[in-house]
Amino acid sequence: MEAVAIQPNTIEREQTYIHPSVDELYERTFPPVATFVRKMGGSFDDAKDIFHDALVVYMEVSEEDKRKVRATQEAYLLGIAKHLWIRKYHRDSREVEFNDAENRIAIPEDFYPPVQTSRLLKFLEVAGKKCMDLLRAFYYQNLPMKKLAGKLGYASEHSASVQKYKCMEKIRNTVKEKSLSYDDFTE
Amino acid sequence: MTTSPNNTQRIEQYLQGRLSPSEELLFEARMIAHPELRTEVRLQEKVYRLIRMYHRKKLKEELEVVHQRLFHDPRKRSFRQRVERIFKPE
Repeated sequence: MEAVAIQPNTIEREQTYIHPSVDELYERTFPPVATFVRKMGGSFDDAKDIFHDALVVYMEVSEEDKRKVRATQEAYLLGIAKHLWIRKYHRDSREVEFNDAENRIAIPEDFYPPVQTSRLLKFLEVAGKKCMDLLRAFYYQNLPMKKLAGKLGYASEHSASVQKYKCMEKIRNTVKEKSLSYDDFTE
Repeated sequence: MTTSPNNTQRIEQYLQGRLSPSEELLFEARMIAHPELRTEVRLQEKVYRLIRMYHRKKLKEELEVVHQRLFHDPRKRSFRQRVERIFKPE
């Protein structure tokens, strides 16, 4: 009985970051992106990778920016994929044709981080996993503090907040140590 | 004075622009007086960027699950064939 009661919660937690409607969006928008990647000489795996990156970028776009670009979801995702293709493979932007809407699309500067940053992130994923997951929940779950505290298993908003800042401090100290050990790690 | 949780919270409020103009001025004066505080602020900014990158990485892992689902679900055969045709050698 208890296991049954836990189930809906688990599902809810897993789907907190990705909306269930992503399946439908995926089916609709992957083929045009794949067609573009194929035309550029990429493989199926390249297409999948660029498409997943494009979806991640798309999820970060504010409603205001979406209104400014004025494109359908398919066109928007294809536009992001074109920009990412150039960025990821260091291609000449003249190799790809951009329409007006696509020209209005901006990709976050830090989307493909430099090697040192990726290395640091890999280290934190292992050494600081618990704190990274907690901090991710705080900054990206978009839940009111009270609800989030309950979900993460804290008795009060206060104790959740204390833990959040402890984690922030822990990760900050790790970043500090690591940046002392690689001297080229400054951006 | 550098690493009390309180200070970490203060740094966050400063970086998110949530301090009042007078508090902000005071905080900036403290950074001038204590260079180690400025270092903490810079490092904390870096942590926010790393959390964002971590979040993106995890989203990609979640999308991989969606991908596997769509490419293995028998009901999605026509979608799969449509994609396969794109990559078929000419």
